[in-house]
Amino acid sequence: MTAPQIAAAGPAVPSRLVRAGDVLAFEWTKLRSVRSNYVTLIIAAMATIGSTALVAHAVGSGPTAPQGGLFTALTASFLGYAEYAVIPVSVLAVLQFTSEYTTGLISTTLCAVPRRWAVLAGKAAATGAAALLAGEALGFACFFLTQAMLSGRHRGLSLAQPGVPGAVLAGGFLLCACALTALGLGAIIRHTPGAIAATLVAIYGLAALCLTLPAPWKDGFGKFTMPFAASQVLATHPQPGLLSPALSMLVIIGWPAGALLAATLVITRRDV
Amino acid sequence: MSLPPGSDVAIPVVAVVVAFDVWCLVNLARASQVRYLPKWAWAVAICVWGPWGGVIYLALGKDRTPASAPGEASLAGGAGIAASGQLLARRVPVDPVVIEVDQLTKRFGPVTAVDALSFTVRPGQVTGFLGPNGAGKTTTMRVILGLDTPTSGRALVGGRRYQEIIRPLHVVGSLLDATAVHGGRTAWFHLLSIAQSNGIGRRRVVQVLEATGLAAVAGRRVGEFSLGMKQRLGIAAALLADPAVLIFDEPVNGLDAAGVHWIRQLFQSMAAEGRTVVVSSHLMSEVALTADHLIIIGRGRLLAASPTDRFISGARQDVLVRSPRADELAGLLTARGAAIRPEGDGGLAVTGLDAPAIGDLAAGHGIAVHELVPRHASLEQAYLDLTDDSTDYRAGTSAPERTTAS
Repeated sequence: MTAPQIAAAGPAVPSRLVRAGDVLAFEWTKLRSVRSNYVTLIIAAMATIGSTALVAHAVGSGPTAPQGGLFTALTASFLGYAEYAVIPVSVLAVLQFTSEYTTGLISTTLCAVPRRWAVLAGKAAATGAAALLAGEALGFACFFLTQAMLSGRHRGLSLAQPGVPGAVLAGGFLLCACALTALGLGAIIRHTPGAIAATLVAIYGLAALCLTLPAPWKDGFGKFTMPFAASQVLATHPQPGLLSPALSMLVIIGWPAGALLAATLVITRRDV
Repeated sequence: MSLPPGSDVAIPVVAVVVAFDVWCLVNLARASQVRYLPKWAWAVAICVWGPWGGVIYLALGKDRTPASAPGEASLAGGAGIAASGQLLARRVPVDPVVIEVDQLTKRFGPVTAVDALSFTVRPGQVTGFLGPNGAGKTTTMRVILGLDTPTSGRALVGGRRYQEIIRPLHVVGSLLDATAVHGGRTAWFHLLSIAQSNGIGRRRVVQVLEATGLAAVAGRRVGEFSLGMKQRLGIAAALLADPAVLIFDEPVNGLDAAGVHWIRQLFQSMAAEGRTVVVSSHLMSEVALTADHLIIIGRGRLLAASPTDRFISGARQDVLVRSPRADELAGLLTARGAAIRPEGDGGLAVTGLDAPAIGDLAAGHGIAVHELVPRHASLEQAYLDLTDDSTDYRAGTSAPERTTAS
């Protein structure tokens, strides 16, 4: 029998590292054993690549961009990605917690791992890793696709140009940041529709609201939202009114960090 | 992927939304060449982002396969059940673990679900945890398992709070709600993930699947399982780490006759190995045959905690006497201090004297006795008397009505 025995001395206490591995394996198995997660990722990838191709075609066939226009060749690469990759993956991340709360599986999970922050950390690690992997793969795919289509018109960029590899890597990380924000909100809100709505507000809604504000406030508040920060990180010519790309990257990291911190505080204090 | 109901409407809507969305993106990209246009394009695109959450939610919605339960036949067979005892038999003696609940109180806002409850559950026997719906059984179990934080008091498993146990499944196996599973995951992956969380190997997963008769359906998604199969899956999960304590909340719900028989045998064999087995129920008949010890609560308070046989012997019992000279006999009996309650057609229900004493008394006075029957209240009746009393008492003191959330 492989199950450890409870001898008179009590069960052997494994090291913290082993226990962390346990939790990670637990969450990773749960993530990979649901078929709809694969379906979501495949749909996200197909929609992202498709829309990216359409956008690249539109940019390529349009009039020559004036220098410093809103959408440079780099930004255009991520226009489809920012929507068709981010939303499905964020919803997938939301469901990591809300599906357990709505089915009641969370009780089983917390009986197996009573340290709640460890469950959150395990889920964040598993979901974050999957989202980062998918994000970087899709980010580079979108970049190369767009530049290949634009290079025929001599407007493409290459990875060799300064700042471009970092921007593409950061673009891939966006997916991970959005997924972890969604995961944290899912843990706090517990109900799928509410958590999805909150995630969409956090990722897109606040930026949309800022767009409607008059001029000084638009950028003043807007620079702390994900889309504004992302546009700074992904632009070859950052806009002067917003935060610098480095600070914008901090904003992008700050959203998931804040959501996960809030989630830790909430789930360790409340009854399941 | 099987789509949830309503997909026939959702799919064209999604197609239109996607097409419009792509059109917006393309226009946005074109408009970007002119500096003053993008603002409206942004606004339109963002407005279109909203529906996407709902679309993905629909696509990811739980599969609702009707519970036609293919494979149920393989579960009903007696062979798997007979083998299960051996498969799960323990080779090392169980380290006895006691559950102590000490002055436990749990309030949900104004509602007191558990009220200064104290009891001890000992190893080596099946303990029935009884109470009417809403008595606080589930809440007590959730506090024991660390899912709910008590308002005051504490619940200890082997002297520790549940949250303090490292790899707790090795100490406590529990089943609170068999339907609390992700329908999209197969039985195998459900059990494997739980096993991994506590460092349990794959061979043991195979073992419990075989022991619970689920080996043949291990690759099937749990959403297709019947309630009885889900109960077995939950029991398999509880047994995964071969724990010294087993806690089951209403485990008999949804099981067929063979399943009920199987589960009772399982409880008894687990207890015989020295484990602590707690089985909650709101029906006495479910636990009367299995439980060696009873803990009965009502309205969050302890009503009784005693061995099952003592509970029944301490319950109401009387002797039924029928005699043609019933009135005369009644006078004699009351003179000896017995309490008499007349029943129909000349019968007397006598308490306070046993049958031989009544018979001797009647013989001594030359009174013919046609019937002399010692009667014990059934366990069920004793339980009803007990919980009725508590309910009446509580209602009389205008205690706040509580929801039946047990």
